Amino acid sequence: MADLFHNLFLGFGVAVSPVNLMLCLIGALVGTLVGVLPGIGTIATVAMLLPITFGLPPVGALIMLAGIYYGAQYGGSTTSILVNIPGEATSVVTTLDGFQMAKQGRAGPALAIAAIGSFIAGCAATVLIAVLGAPLTKLALAFGPAEYFSLMVLGLIFAVVLAKGSVLKAIAMIVLGLLLSMVGSDIETGASRMAFNIPELADGLGFATVAMGVFGFAEIIRNLDTGAEMDRELVQQKITGLMPTKKDMMESLPAIFRGTVLGSILGILPGGGAVIASFAAYTFEKKISREPQKFGRGAIAGVAAPESANNAAAQTSFIPLLTLGIPPNAVMALMVGAMTIHGIVPGPQVMQKQPDLVWGMIASMWIGNLMLIIINLPLVGIWVRLLRVPYRLMFPSIVVFCAIGIYSINNAPVDVVLAGAFGLVGYWLIKHEFEPAPLLLGMVLGPLMEENLRRALLISRGDWSVFVTRPLSAVLMAAAAGLLVLAVLPTLRRKRDEVFVEG
Amino acid sequence: MTDTPSERPRQSIKPKWVRGPQDFIGGIVLVAVALFALWASDDLQGMHGFTFGPGTAPRMFAVLLLILGAGVAITGVVSEGPKLARYSWRGPLFVMLAIVFFAVAIRPLGLVVSGLASFLISALGTPETRWVETLIVGICLTIGCALLFPYVLGLPMPLFPRFLVQ
Repeated sequence: MADLFHNLFLGFGVAVSPVNLMLCLIGALVGTLVGVLPGIGTIATVAMLLPITFGLPPVGALIMLAGIYYGAQYGGSTTSILVNIPGEATSVVTTLDGFQMAKQGRAGPALAIAAIGSFIAGCAATVLIAVLGAPLTKLALAFGPAEYFSLMVLGLIFAVVLAKGSVLKAIAMIVLGLLLSMVGSDIETGASRMAFNIPELADGLGFATVAMGVFGFAEIIRNLDTGAEMDRELVQQKITGLMPTKKDMMESLPAIFRGTVLGSILGILPGGGAVIASFAAYTFEKKISREPQKFGRGAIAGVAAPESANNAAAQTSFIPLLTLGIPPNAVMALMVGAMTIHGIVPGPQVMQKQPDLVWGMIASMWIGNLMLIIINLPLVGIWVRLLRVPYRLMFPSIVVFCAIGIYSINNAPVDVVLAGAFGLVGYWLIKHEFEPAPLLLGMVLGPLMEENLRRALLISRGDWSVFVTRPLSAVLMAAAAGLLVLAVLPTLRRKRDEVFVEG
Repeated sequence: MTDTPSERPRQSIKPKWVRGPQDFIGGIVLVAVALFALWASDDLQGMHGFTFGPGTAPRMFAVLLLILGAGVAITGVVSEGPKLARYSWRGPLFVMLAIVFFAVAIRPLGLVVSGLASFLISALGTPETRWVETLIVGICLTIGCALLFPYVLGLPMPLFPRFLVQ
């Protein structure tokens, strides 16, 4: 217990320094600014803004990134409520009741409750990270290569289950990501793999480059398809009365707490718990509500629960990253990218060797949450005005900004061209309904998986049964297999139903 | 792998037995990528004993992708699926042109020229562009970036054309 307070104290000591506070503030502001722009999700926002943190010291960079992340997420909620466009999968559910509330002229309370819910959830999750961090790090020490490999398989399967659409296609995307991650030099032998003697490919495909292409450029091209003026159903009423009434608070507080608990638990699981957390919290609220017919018609609990759940999950998803070094979703994968650029390899060693970095980041997450409440709510008017920026002006700005950003990573023009090429690839993937997020996750996990698979088989002297004979690894593998079966079954049933309907 | 897929809508020529062209073509392309990767990693050493060679993992993933891609393609044959989506050419063309121009011009011409030019080229991507406002926004953005990246963020990059500076 003393350890816990010591750690948190250390963290706040780092995060509360004026410089880091400023970075967190700027990050949250800029994150919201970009996240609010329609058609730019959280992943694209973080990828776009990654380069602006390069010049900073590692701790500052990560703190700023955390701020950007939270800002972007909050920006996504804002667009969900005001324009019915979810910035990303986690805020899809928020549109259901949030937009209805906005239509009834209650956008203010909806935005406020989203922020308050997120903050309460953030507080709880921060404590949870601090409590679980140390024991999980010990658990991580019990992990051999076989266990790591199995855990990553589990995480990838989780990502598959959560991706919308076909399971088969999602797995194919993961494997494509794994394959792409093989480009470059082999870690152990140094042999150049699939690089075609192009010097820029010798270090492999840059993660930020691919992310920016597949999420940034591809989205732009796709949006241009439908004409630059997307029909945006912007709520035209003036936003009056920002603060929720007492009745609102009474209705949403229990929902916030339930959402927080659900989100915290689901977030720890590798594989992107945030999406499932917001869906689960919404369904749960609807089920236990005494007036379920109100949901979908502007129930404030329908905003409070998923918003707090996804924020709690977003926060606790740092746990697998910090303790095991395994990014559980695409945003965390970008964080790993940022850490590697600063020469930090996330994992249990970081917890022990650079406690100030880890705990500073955890504390700054909490501060980032607080800033969202203090800064963003009064600025709602500005965000609304941003929503009215026409796309015909916005997209060239994003193109140029992204191009400069990618160039600045390595000062390499080739990277810019590569990102453009991946933009086309991403456009093609969208057209064929392949999900790009699993691809990104596969790309980050690829080298880790290869390394651990190699080691596991070396230790077991080539015996593949090691993954099911070691108990911890066997449990993880069984969980992965079970999940996969669960994911495939309903599709099978649905497919069969379709056939029956046609017959 | 930067091979850019260039499928065009081919509803007209698609054979009758393909019921889900979107999945069918998608799967075929994945198979092609897998085959390409197998060919590209052909020169790498494989397993010796129970030690992985540099080629083991790439080939493993490529074979997996081959199987999965074939699976997706088969889905497109046996089950009803969406048609191929329509591709437009204007957006992709000008956005890509802008990106390539930026990559080529950033070193010799510097941030100011290449940034503004890329902005204007990508603005060609939609017929809805109004040139006066686009020019104003483009200039403002260029100035903003020219201050932000080299000065505020301390990322070194050339600002002005090389022949002017020297």
